[in-house]
Amino acid sequence: MTEDKLERLLQETDRTAGPPAEVHVSVAGLRRRARRRMFVRLASPVAAAAVLLLAVGLWNHVIRTPDGNDGPEKIASLEAQVKQLTARTDAALSLIHEVLEEERRQQRLDELEAQLASIPDPLEEMQKQVDKTAFILVYQADRLYMEMNQTDSAIENYNRVIKLFPENRWAKVARQRLEEIEDKKSDKSDSSDKSDSKGDLRWKSQNASSSC
Amino acid sequence: MAVMAEPNDDELLVERFSRGDESAFERIVERYSAEVAALANRLLGWPGDVEDVTQDIFLAAFLGLKKFRRDCKLKTWLFTITINKCRSFRHRRLLRLRRLPQSPRNRDSPMNAEDFDHVRRAVAALPAKYREPVVLMYLQELPTEEIARVLGVSKNALHVRLSRARDRLKNDLAELWE
Repeated sequence: MTEDKLERLLQETDRTAGPPAEVHVSVAGLRRRARRRMFVRLASPVAAAAVLLLAVGLWNHVIRTPDGNDGPEKIASLEAQVKQLTARTDAALSLIHEVLEEERRQQRLDELEAQLASIPDPLEEMQKQVDKTAFILVYQADRLYMEMNQTDSAIENYNRVIKLFPENRWAKVARQRLEEIEDKKSDKSDSSDKSDSKGDLRWKSQNASSSC
Repeated sequence: MAVMAEPNDDELLVERFSRGDESAFERIVERYSAEVAALANRLLGWPGDVEDVTQDIFLAAFLGLKKFRRDCKLKTWLFTITINKCRSFRHRRLLRLRRLPQSPRNRDSPMNAEDFDHVRRAVAALPAKYREPVVLMYLQELPTEEIARVLGVSKNALHVRLSRARDRLKNDLAELWE
């Protein structure tokens, strides 16, 4: 068989087979198919990603479920970690409690110190009372002597102040008053015989001081 | 059916399509669909109905035309797509029984319908690397340069393949000539 013969045979065979059925290709149809193909191309990876995410979610769920069959070592490890965390939390809480208690104690101590500071010094208070009493006695004696002209009663009070509160400043005042009275009496005795009364006053004064 | 194209018409259509004019693709389909369908029909063993594969070929052309480098003729590029699509199409239905249409007896020919059917089966049974050059050479009547370009082989390789294909066909069809 020559090449020409073969060519003729093939061409005749092709002719006898006839042309293919008419083909209708439209651009709109091609566009639709292109969109569909793109959708399929996108849908596959998206679906795969969704399945993967679902699988990961399920896996996590199984791992976190205490009754899960797989991963008992991991569960034990997680429980140990939880225990450690609980212990650390308890230690931190007890420390916080201690700090708070210390703070409360310190606050109470401050309050007590403040109360103690508000209490007056009894010695000082007593000194004030002594001073006050001495003043009252001197004041009454001054009134007896100067206003009521009861010199004897006044001298008696002045001597009492000197006797009871010898170190007090009002005892000094009382002594001054007695000296004044004595001076007045001596002035009067110069003109008349009043030495007895003056000596009597001195005697009373001495007597009072000696009785202290 | 096919419209005779001016030498530069194809380039103009490709340019229009690249600029977004889809009606240019309609012109391309109008111009080449018959030739593409005929080639697909021959490559697939004359099944007659090549609607699906032709749709696939033009869909690939529609999606890829903007990337067409224009280093060959549009027809060559379409034939290359046709070759590739037919290969995958044949591969998909490799073991499927094809029903060839019954052809009427040609009174002028000494051969009957069974003989032509025998020839078609012999061509269809050739391996792709022999069948494709035979179809393009003797039925599409393309020049060897273009066939080599479509198939992506050198001229020498093409001649070798054609020679081997002829030998096979001569062996298979020897009884018809005895």
